[in-house]
Amino acid sequence: MSARYGVACIRLRDSIRTVLPVCVMVLTVFVLAAYALNFPQLTGRVVDEAGVLDLAAKGELERKLAEFEAQTTGQLVVVTLKSLQGTSIEDYGYQLGRHWGIGQKEKNSGALLIMVPSERKVRIEVGHGLEGQLTDAVSRLIIQNSIVPRFGTGDYAGGINRGVDDIIQALADPDEWRQRAKQRPDSQPFGFDIIMAILLVIVVIMIMRSVSRGGAQDPRSARRRAGGPVFVPMPWGSGSGSSDWSDSSWSGSSGGFSGSGGSFGGGGASGSW
Amino acid sequence: MTPRILARGLYIPFFVIILGLMASGCGVNNIPTFDEQAKAKWSDVQNQYQRRADLIPNLVETVKGYANQEREVLTQVVEARAKASQIKVDASTINDPAKFKEYQDAQNALTGALGRLLVTVERYPDLKSNQNFLALQSQLEGTENRISVARRDYIEGVRVYNTELKTFPGLLWASTLYRSYKPMETFTAAADTARPPTVKF
Repeated sequence: MSARYGVACIRLRDSIRTVLPVCVMVLTVFVLAAYALNFPQLTGRVVDEAGVLDLAAKGELERKLAEFEAQTTGQLVVVTLKSLQGTSIEDYGYQLGRHWGIGQKEKNSGALLIMVPSERKVRIEVGHGLEGQLTDAVSRLIIQNSIVPRFGTGDYAGGINRGVDDIIQALADPDEWRQRAKQRPDSQPFGFDIIMAILLVIVVIMIMRSVSRGGAQDPRSARRRAGGPVFVPMPWGSGSGSSDWSDSSWSGSSGGFSGSGGSFGGGGASGSW
Repeated sequence: MTPRILARGLYIPFFVIILGLMASGCGVNNIPTFDEQAKAKWSDVQNQYQRRADLIPNLVETVKGYANQEREVLTQVVEARAKASQIKVDASTINDPAKFKEYQDAQNALTGALGRLLVTVERYPDLKSNQNFLALQSQLEGTENRISVARRDYIEGVRVYNTELKTFPGLLWASTLYRSYKPMETFTAAADTARPPTVKF
Protein backbone atom coordinates (compact mmCIF):
# COMPACT_ATOMS: atom_id res chain seq x y z
CA MET A 1 0.00 0.00 0.00
CA SER A 2 2.59 2.50 1.12
CA ALA A 3 5.00 1.23 -1.53
CA ARG A 4 2.43 1.95 -4.19
CA TYR A 5 1.88 5.38 -2.72
CA GLY A 6 5.63 5.99 -2.85
CA VAL A 7 5.81 5.00 -6.50
CA ALA A 8 2.96 7.35 -7.31
CA CYS A 9 4.75 10.13 -5.49
CA ILE A 10 7.95 9.54 -7.42
CA ARG A 11 6.00 9.51 -10.67
CA LEU A 12 4.35 12.76 -9.79
CA ARG A 13 7.67 14.31 -8.89
CA ASP A 14 9.20 13.16 -12.16
CA SER A 15 6.36 14.56 -14.20
CA ILE A 16 6.65 17.88 -12.38
CA ARG A 17 10.34 17.84 -13.10
CA THR A 18 9.72 17.50 -16.81
CA VAL A 19 6.84 19.94 -16.96
CA LEU A 20 8.44 22.69 -14.89
CA PRO A 21 11.24 23.65 -17.33
CA VAL A 22 8.70 23.83 -20.14
CA CYS A 23 6.53 26.18 -18.06
CA VAL A 24 9.54 28.34 -17.26
CA MET A 25 10.49 28.49 -20.93
CA VAL A 26 6.98 29.49 -22.02
CA LEU A 27 6.89 32.17 -19.33
CA THR A 28 10.26 33.51 -20.44
CA VAL A 29 8.99 33.85 -23.99
CA PHE A 30 5.99 35.83 -22.76
CA VAL A 31 8.14 38.09 -20.62
CA LEU A 32 10.51 38.73 -23.53
CA ALA A 33 7.57 39.48 -25.80
CA ALA A 34 6.30 42.04 -23.31
CA TYR A 35 9.68 43.80 -23.40
CA ALA A 36 9.85 43.89 -27.19
CA LEU A 37 9.98 47.30 -28.82
CA ASN A 38 7.11 48.88 -30.67
CA PHE A 39 7.92 50.07 -34.15
CA PRO A 40 6.01 52.68 -36.14
CA GLN A 41 4.36 51.59 -39.35
CA LEU A 42 6.34 52.02 -42.54
CA THR A 43 4.01 54.46 -44.24
CA GLY A 44 6.45 55.80 -46.80
CA ARG A 45 10.05 56.85 -47.29
CA VAL A 46 9.59 59.49 -44.64
CA VAL A 47 8.01 58.32 -41.39
CA ASP A 48 7.46 61.42 -39.30
CA GLU A 49 6.22 60.02 -36.02
CA ALA A 50 7.53 62.97 -34.01
CA GLY A 51 5.86 65.43 -36.38
CA VAL A 52 8.79 67.76 -37.05
CA LEU A 53 8.29 68.11 -40.81
CA ASP A 54 5.63 70.10 -42.61
CA LEU A 55 3.89 68.71 -45.66
CA ALA A 56 6.03 70.54 -48.20
CA ALA A 57 9.31 69.43 -46.64
CA LYS A 58 8.03 65.88 -46.34
CA GLY A 59 6.94 65.82 -49.99
CA GLU A 60 10.28 67.17 -51.12
CA LEU A 61 12.15 64.54 -49.10
CA GLU A 62 9.91 61.74 -50.39
CA ARG A 63 10.62 62.81 -53.96
CA LYS A 64 14.36 62.94 -53.36
CA LEU A 65 14.44 59.54 -51.71
CA ALA A 66 12.31 57.94 -54.41
CA GLU A 67 14.62 59.35 -57.08
CA PHE A 68 17.65 58.00 -55.23
CA GLU A 69 16.07 54.59 -55.01
CA ALA A 70 15.22 54.58 -58.70
CA GLN A 71 18.75 55.53 -59.72
CA THR A 72 20.60 53.14 -57.46
CA THR A 73 19.70 49.90 -55.74
CA GLY A 74 19.92 51.48 -52.32
CA GLN A 75 16.96 52.29 -50.13
CA LEU A 76 17.06 55.19 -47.73
CA VAL A 77 14.33 55.96 -45.22
CA VAL A 78 14.01 58.93 -42.86
CA VAL A 79 12.42 58.30 -39.47
CA THR A 80 11.57 60.69 -36.68
CA LEU A 81 10.57 59.05 -33.40
CA LYS A 82 8.60 60.23 -30.40
CA SER A 83 10.72 58.19 -28.01
CA LEU A 84 13.28 55.39 -27.88
CA GLN A 85 11.16 53.37 -25.44
CA GLY A 86 13.95 53.19 -22.92
CA THR A 87 16.65 51.70 -25.12
CA SER A 88 19.62 53.25 -26.90
CA ILE A 89 19.32 54.66 -30.43
CA GLU A 90 21.87 52.09 -31.64
CA ASP A 91 19.74 49.27 -30.28
CA TYR A 92 16.49 50.68 -31.61
CA GLY A 93 17.99 51.52 -35.00
CA TYR A 94 19.15 48.13 -36.20
CA GLN A 95 16.02 46.45 -34.90
CA LEU A 96 13.82 48.95 -36.72
CA GLY A 97 15.82 48.43 -39.91
CA ARG A 98 15.42 44.67 -39.67
CA HIS A 99 11.77 44.93 -38.75
CA TRP A 100 11.02 47.00 -41.84
CA GLY A 101 13.47 45.10 -44.01
CA ILE A 102 14.88 48.23 -45.60
CA GLY A 103 17.13 47.53 -48.58
CA GLN A 104 17.31 44.68 -51.05
CA LYS A 105 17.46 41.27 -49.50
CA GLU A 106 20.55 39.99 -51.31
CA LYS A 107 22.50 43.21 -51.00
CA ASN A 108 21.22 44.51 -47.66
CA SER A 109 21.45 47.90 -49.29
CA GLY A 110 19.39 49.91 -46.86
CA ALA A 111 20.07 52.90 -44.66
CA LEU A 112 18.04 54.80 -42.09
CA LEU A 113 18.33 58.35 -40.88
CA ILE A 114 16.79 58.29 -37.42
CA MET A 115 16.21 61.32 -35.23
CA VAL A 116 14.54 61.54 -31.84
CA PRO A 117 13.89 65.16 -30.90
CA SER A 118 12.69 64.32 -27.38
CA GLU A 119 16.06 62.76 -26.54
CA ARG A 120 18.14 64.96 -28.86
CA LYS A 121 19.64 61.92 -30.58
CA VAL A 122 20.33 61.23 -34.22
CA ARG A 123 21.73 58.17 -35.96
CA ILE A 124 22.59 56.95 -39.41
CA GLU A 125 21.95 53.22 -39.45
CA VAL A 126 23.71 51.48 -42.32
CA GLY A 127 22.85 48.08 -43.78
CA HIS A 128 25.58 45.49 -44.38
CA GLY A 129 25.71 46.16 -48.10
CA LEU A 130 26.30 49.91 -47.81
CA GLU A 131 28.92 49.79 -45.06
CA GLY A 132 31.66 49.94 -47.68
CA GLN A 133 30.61 53.37 -48.97
CA LEU A 134 28.80 54.83 -46.01
CA THR A 135 31.42 53.92 -43.44
CA ASP A 136 31.17 54.70 -39.75
CA ALA A 137 33.62 57.58 -40.19
CA VAL A 138 31.66 59.04 -43.12
CA SER A 139 28.41 58.70 -41.18
CA ARG A 140 29.94 60.46 -38.22
CA LEU A 141 31.18 63.29 -40.44
CA ILE A 142 27.74 63.77 -41.92
CA ILE A 143 26.15 63.84 -38.48
CA GLN A 144 28.71 66.19 -36.96
CA ASN A 145 29.08 68.57 -39.89
CA SER A 146 25.68 68.68 -41.56
CA ILE A 147 23.05 67.53 -39.14
CA VAL A 148 23.97 68.43 -35.56
CA PRO A 149 24.65 72.16 -36.17
CA ARG A 150 21.22 72.60 -37.80
CA PHE A 151 19.39 70.51 -35.22
CA GLY A 152 21.08 72.59 -32.54
CA THR A 153 19.33 75.70 -33.83
CA GLY A 154 16.00 73.88 -34.10
CA ASP A 155 16.14 73.59 -37.89
CA TYR A 156 15.04 69.96 -38.07
CA ALA A 157 13.83 70.06 -41.66
CA GLY A 158 17.07 71.70 -42.82
CA GLY A 159 19.24 69.21 -40.93
CA ILE A 160 17.39 66.21 -42.27
CA ASN A 161 17.46 67.59 -45.79
CA ARG A 162 21.17 68.27 -45.72
CA GLY A 163 21.86 64.90 -44.10
CA VAL A 164 19.93 63.08 -46.80
CA ASP A 165 21.78 65.00 -49.51
CA ASP A 166 25.13 64.03 -47.98
CA ILE A 167 24.21 60.39 -47.55
CA ILE A 168 23.08 60.19 -51.17
CA GLN A 169 26.29 61.86 -52.29
CA ALA A 170 28.46 59.52 -50.25
CA LEU A 171 26.65 56.53 -51.70
CA ALA A 172 26.72 57.77 -55.27
CA ASP A 173 30.49 58.28 -55.35
CA PRO A 174 31.32 56.99 -58.85
CA ASP A 175 34.57 55.21 -57.92
CA GLU A 176 32.88 53.15 -55.28
CA TRP A 177 30.03 52.59 -57.65
CA ARG A 178 32.21 51.00 -60.29
CA GLN A 179 33.78 48.68 -57.74
CA ARG A 180 30.39 47.60 -56.62
CA ALA A 181 29.09 46.84 -60.09
CA LYS A 182 31.64 44.03 -60.29
CA GLN A 183 30.08 42.20 -57.41
CA ARG A 184 27.08 40.47 -58.86
CA PRO A 185 25.15 38.02 -56.70
CA ASP A 186 25.72 34.40 -57.68
CA SER A 187 22.77 32.89 -59.47
CA GLN A 188 21.30 29.71 -58.06
CA PRO A 189 21.60 26.56 -60.20
CA PHE A 190 18.25 26.06 -61.89
CA GLY A 191 15.71 23.86 -60.15
CA PHE A 192 18.27 22.22 -57.92
CA ASP A 193 15.79 21.59 -55.12
CA ILE A 194 13.25 19.94 -57.42
CA ILE A 195 15.86 17.61 -58.89
CA MET A 196 16.97 16.62 -55.40
CA ALA A 197 13.39 15.92 -54.36
CA ILE A 198 12.74 13.72 -57.41
CA LEU A 199 15.99 11.82 -56.82
CA LEU A 200 15.06 11.24 -53.20
CA VAL A 201 11.67 9.83 -54.13
CA ILE A 202 13.25 7.51 -56.73
CA VAL A 203 15.82 6.25 -54.22
CA VAL A 204 13.12 5.63 -51.62
CA ILE A 205 10.97 3.74 -54.13
CA MET A 206 13.95 1.59 -55.14
CA ILE A 207 14.72 0.74 -51.52
CA MET A 208 11.10 -0.14 -50.92
CA ARG A 209 11.06 -2.35 -54.01
CA SER A 210 14.13 -4.26 -52.94
CA VAL A 211 12.74 -4.73 -49.45
CA SER A 212 9.41 -6.01 -50.73
CA ARG A 213 11.13 -8.36 -53.20
CA GLY A 214 13.36 -9.76 -50.50
CA GLY A 215 10.35 -10.63 -48.43
CA ALA A 216 8.22 -11.81 -51.34
CA GLN A 217 8.44 -15.49 -50.35
CA ASP A 218 6.52 -14.81 -47.21
CA PRO A 219 3.97 -12.02 -47.26
CA ARG A 220 3.85 -11.88 -43.49
CA SER A 221 7.55 -11.14 -43.16
CA ALA A 222 7.26 -8.36 -45.70
CA ARG A 223 4.48 -6.83 -43.76
CA ARG A 224 6.41 -7.20 -40.54
CA ARG A 225 9.42 -5.52 -42.03
CA ALA A 226 7.35 -2.67 -43.32
CA GLY A 227 5.53 -2.22 -40.07
CA GLY A 228 8.36 -0.66 -38.11
CA PRO A 229 7.93 2.42 -36.00
CA VAL A 230 5.80 4.82 -37.96
CA PHE A 231 6.39 8.46 -37.24
CA VAL A 232 3.34 10.63 -37.54
CA PRO A 233 4.21 13.71 -39.57
CA MET A 234 4.26 16.76 -37.39
CA PRO A 235 3.43 20.16 -38.76
CA TRP A 236 5.21 22.03 -36.01
CA GLY A 237 8.91 22.04 -35.22
CA SER A 238 10.08 23.84 -38.29
CA GLY A 239 8.76 27.25 -37.36
CA SER A 240 10.79 28.35 -34.38
CA GLY A 241 14.02 29.15 -36.15
CA SER A 242 12.55 31.10 -38.99
CA SER A 243 12.01 34.37 -37.18
CA ASP A 244 14.89 35.85 -39.14
CA TRP A 245 13.24 35.15 -42.43
CA SER A 246 9.72 36.07 -41.57
CA ASP A 247 10.98 39.42 -40.35
CA SER A 248 12.84 40.24 -43.48
CA SER A 249 10.24 38.99 -45.92
CA TRP A 250 7.76 41.41 -44.44
CA SER A 251 6.05 43.28 -47.19
CA GLY A 252 2.84 44.71 -45.82
CA SER A 253 2.98 47.85 -47.84
CA SER A 254 0.94 50.96 -47.58
CA GLY A 255 1.25 53.83 -49.96
CA GLY A 256 3.01 51.57 -52.46
CA PHE A 257 6.22 51.41 -50.49
CA SER A 258 7.77 48.58 -48.56
CA GLY A 259 11.11 47.18 -47.52
CA SER A 260 12.70 44.48 -49.63
CA GLY A 261 14.14 42.33 -46.85
CA GLY A 262 17.48 43.98 -46.16
CA SER A 263 19.25 43.32 -42.89
CA PHE A 264 21.29 45.46 -40.52
CA GLY A 265 24.28 44.61 -38.37
CA GLY A 266 24.84 47.74 -36.33
CA GLY A 267 26.91 49.79 -38.77
CA GLY A 268 26.71 53.57 -38.82
CA ALA A 269 27.20 56.37 -36.36
CA SER A 270 25.22 58.31 -33.80
CA GLY A 271 25.31 61.81 -32.43
CA SER A 272 23.42 64.11 -30.17
CA TRP A 273 22.79 67.83 -30.05
CA MET B 1 -5.74 -10.02 -56.42
CA THR B 2 -3.77 -11.96 -53.90
CA PRO B 3 -3.21 -10.42 -50.45
CA ARG B 4 0.51 -10.24 -51.18
CA ILE B 5 0.13 -7.93 -54.17
CA LEU B 6 -2.47 -5.93 -52.33
CA ALA B 7 -0.11 -5.38 -49.43
CA ARG B 8 2.79 -4.46 -51.62
CA GLY B 9 0.68 -2.13 -53.74
CA LEU B 10 -0.51 -0.30 -50.68
CA TYR B 11 2.48 0.13 -48.50
CA ILE B 12 5.00 1.40 -51.03
CA PRO B 13 3.25 4.67 -51.86
CA PHE B 14 2.15 4.95 -48.26
CA PHE B 15 5.73 4.80 -47.08
CA VAL B 16 7.00 7.18 -49.69
CA ILE B 17 4.42 9.71 -48.55
CA ILE B 18 5.17 9.15 -44.87
CA LEU B 19 8.91 9.49 -45.44
CA GLY B 20 8.46 12.66 -47.42
CA LEU B 21 6.25 14.22 -44.79
CA MET B 22 8.57 13.08 -42.05
CA ALA B 23 11.53 14.71 -43.68
CA SER B 24 9.83 18.05 -44.13
CA GLY B 25 7.18 18.31 -41.42
CA CYS B 26 8.88 16.50 -38.59
CA GLY B 27 11.87 18.79 -38.69
CA VAL B 28 14.46 16.17 -39.49
CA ASN B 29 16.60 18.92 -40.96
CA ASN B 30 16.10 21.37 -38.13
CA ILE B 31 19.07 20.41 -35.99
CA PRO B 32 21.70 20.67 -38.76
CA THR B 33 20.03 23.82 -40.10
CA PHE B 34 19.98 25.58 -36.73
CA ASP B 35 23.50 24.32 -36.08
CA GLU B 36 24.75 25.95 -39.26
CA GLN B 37 22.86 29.17 -38.55
CA ALA B 38 24.28 29.42 -35.05
CA LYS B 39 27.78 28.71 -36.35
CA ALA B 40 27.41 31.42 -38.98
CA LYS B 41 26.39 33.84 -36.27
CA TRP B 42 29.36 32.74 -34.20
CA SER B 43 31.73 33.48 -37.05
CA ASP B 44 30.17 36.92 -37.31
CA VAL B 45 30.92 37.50 -33.62
CA GLN B 46 34.50 36.40 -34.22
CA ASN B 47 34.77 38.68 -37.27
CA GLN B 48 33.64 41.70 -35.34
CA TYR B 49 36.02 41.02 -32.47
CA GLN B 50 38.80 40.58 -35.03
CA ARG B 51 37.83 43.85 -36.64
CA ARG B 52 38.17 45.55 -33.30
CA ALA B 53 41.57 43.95 -32.69
CA ASP B 54 42.69 45.21 -36.12
CA LEU B 55 41.76 48.77 -35.25
CA ILE B 56 43.76 48.86 -32.03
CA PRO B 57 47.39 49.19 -33.26
CA ASN B 58 46.44 52.23 -35.30
CA LEU B 59 44.50 53.72 -32.43
CA VAL B 60 47.35 53.18 -29.98
CA GLU B 61 49.83 54.80 -32.36
CA THR B 62 47.62 57.84 -32.80
CA VAL B 63 47.04 58.26 -29.07
CA LYS B 64 50.77 57.84 -28.38
CA GLY B 65 51.55 60.82 -30.57
CA TYR B 66 49.53 63.09 -28.29
CA ALA B 67 49.42 61.41 -24.92
CA ASN B 68 52.62 59.47 -24.56
CA GLN B 69 52.59 59.92 -20.81
CA GLU B 70 49.51 57.71 -20.55
CA ARG B 71 51.77 54.72 -20.89
CA GLU B 72 49.97 52.59 -18.34
CA VAL B 73 46.58 52.71 -20.02
CA LEU B 74 48.12 52.18 -23.45
CA THR B 75 50.09 49.17 -22.24
CA GLN B 76 46.97 47.68 -20.73
CA VAL B 77 45.18 47.92 -24.06
CA VAL B 78 48.08 46.39 -25.96
CA GLU B 79 48.40 43.57 -23.46
CA ALA B 80 44.68 42.86 -23.38
CA ARG B 81 44.67 42.75 -27.17
CA ALA B 82 47.62 40.35 -27.27
CA LYS B 83 45.93 38.12 -24.71
CA ALA B 84 42.67 38.06 -26.63
CA SER B 85 44.44 37.32 -29.91
CA GLN B 86 46.41 34.45 -28.39
CA ILE B 87 43.32 32.38 -27.73
CA LYS B 88 42.73 30.02 -30.61
CA VAL B 89 39.09 30.14 -31.60
CA ASP B 90 37.23 28.07 -34.12
CA ALA B 91 33.80 26.52 -34.59
CA SER B 92 34.42 23.94 -31.85
CA THR B 93 34.92 26.64 -29.22
CA ILE B 94 31.18 27.04 -28.87
CA ASN B 95 30.82 23.46 -27.60
CA ASP B 96 33.60 23.85 -25.04
CA PRO B 97 32.47 25.77 -21.92
CA ALA B 98 35.98 26.37 -20.53
CA LYS B 99 37.40 27.65 -23.78
CA PHE B 100 34.36 29.74 -24.47
CA LYS B 101 34.61 31.40 -21.07
CA GLU B 102 38.30 32.07 -21.62
CA TYR B 103 37.55 33.77 -24.93
CA GLN B 104 34.70 35.80 -23.48
CA ASP B 105 36.78 36.91 -20.48
CA ALA B 106 39.68 37.98 -22.67
CA GLN B 107 37.41 40.01 -24.94
CA ASN B 108 35.68 41.59 -21.96
CA ALA B 109 39.05 42.56 -20.52
CA LEU B 110 39.90 44.24 -23.82
CA THR B 111 36.54 46.06 -23.80
CA GLY B 112 37.35 47.36 -20.32
CA ALA B 113 40.88 48.48 -21.25
CA LEU B 114 39.60 50.26 -24.35
CA GLY B 115 36.93 52.00 -22.31
CA ARG B 116 39.56 53.30 -19.89
CA LEU B 117 41.71 54.50 -22.77
CA LEU B 118 38.84 56.45 -24.30
CA VAL B 119 38.06 58.06 -20.95
CA THR B 120 41.71 59.07 -20.53
CA VAL B 121 41.75 60.59 -23.98
CA GLU B 122 39.11 63.09 -22.87
CA ARG B 123 41.89 65.06 -21.20
CA TYR B 124 43.65 65.78 -24.49
CA PRO B 125 41.76 68.35 -26.56
CA ASP B 126 44.38 68.30 -29.34
CA LEU B 127 43.94 64.59 -29.78
CA LYS B 128 40.18 64.87 -29.68
CA SER B 129 40.19 67.26 -32.60
CA ASN B 130 42.64 65.17 -34.63
CA GLN B 131 40.83 63.95 -37.76
CA ASN B 132 42.62 60.62 -37.81
CA PHE B 133 41.68 59.98 -34.22
CA LEU B 134 38.06 60.97 -34.79
CA ALA B 135 37.80 58.58 -37.72
CA LEU B 136 39.31 55.79 -35.63
CA GLN B 137 37.06 56.58 -32.75
CA SER B 138 33.92 56.40 -34.87
CA GLN B 139 35.11 53.11 -36.34
CA LEU B 140 35.72 51.76 -32.87
CA GLU B 141 32.29 52.84 -31.71
CA GLY B 142 30.69 51.31 -34.77
CA THR B 143 32.61 48.08 -34.20
CA GLU B 144 31.58 47.88 -30.56
CA ASN B 145 28.01 48.32 -31.69
CA ARG B 146 28.41 45.61 -34.32
CA ILE B 147 29.88 43.32 -31.68
CA SER B 148 26.88 43.80 -29.46
CA VAL B 149 24.50 43.13 -32.37
CA ALA B 150 26.46 40.04 -33.44
CA ARG B 151 26.53 38.77 -29.86
CA ARG B 152 22.81 39.18 -29.53
CA ASP B 153 22.17 37.43 -32.85
CA TYR B 154 24.41 34.59 -31.73
CA ILE B 155 22.64 34.28 -28.38
CA GLU B 156 19.33 34.04 -30.23
CA GLY B 157 20.72 31.48 -32.69
CA VAL B 158 22.01 29.30 -29.86
CA ARG B 159 18.72 29.60 -28.03
CA VAL B 160 16.87 28.28 -31.07
CA TYR B 161 19.39 25.46 -31.57
CA ASN B 162 19.56 24.39 -27.92
CA THR B 163 15.78 24.50 -27.63
CA GLU B 164 15.47 22.28 -30.68
CA LEU B 165 17.84 19.75 -29.09
CA LYS B 166 15.84 19.63 -25.88
CA THR B 167 12.20 19.89 -26.96
CA PHE B 168 10.00 17.22 -28.40
CA PRO B 169 10.28 16.72 -32.12
CA GLY B 170 13.95 17.69 -32.14
CA LEU B 171 14.67 15.54 -29.10
CA LEU B 172 13.82 12.43 -31.14
CA TRP B 173 16.27 13.32 -33.89
CA ALA B 174 18.96 14.44 -31.45
CA SER B 175 18.89 11.05 -29.72
CA THR B 176 18.83 9.04 -32.97
CA LEU B 177 20.26 10.65 -36.08
CA TYR B 178 22.25 13.52 -34.61
CA ARG B 179 24.01 12.13 -31.56
CA SER B 180 27.14 14.15 -32.30
CA TYR B 181 25.30 17.48 -32.05
CA LYS B 182 26.00 18.98 -28.63
CA PRO B 183 24.43 22.01 -26.95
CA MET B 184 26.28 25.26 -27.59
CA GLU B 185 27.70 27.77 -25.13
CA THR B 186 26.31 31.24 -25.09
CA PHE B 187 27.37 34.62 -23.77
CA THR B 188 26.41 35.35 -20.21
CA ALA B 189 25.51 38.78 -21.44
CA ALA B 190 26.05 41.27 -18.72
CA ALA B 191 24.39 44.25 -20.33
CA ASP B 192 27.15 46.64 -19.31
CA THR B 193 29.92 44.66 -20.98
CA ALA B 194 28.01 44.48 -24.25
CA ARG B 195 27.41 48.19 -24.38
CA PRO B 196 29.93 50.29 -26.28
CA PRO B 197 32.07 52.57 -24.13
CA THR B 198 30.32 55.90 -23.89
CA VAL B 199 32.27 58.74 -25.36
CA LYS B 200 31.27 62.36 -25.18
CA PHE B 201 32.24 64.77 -27.89
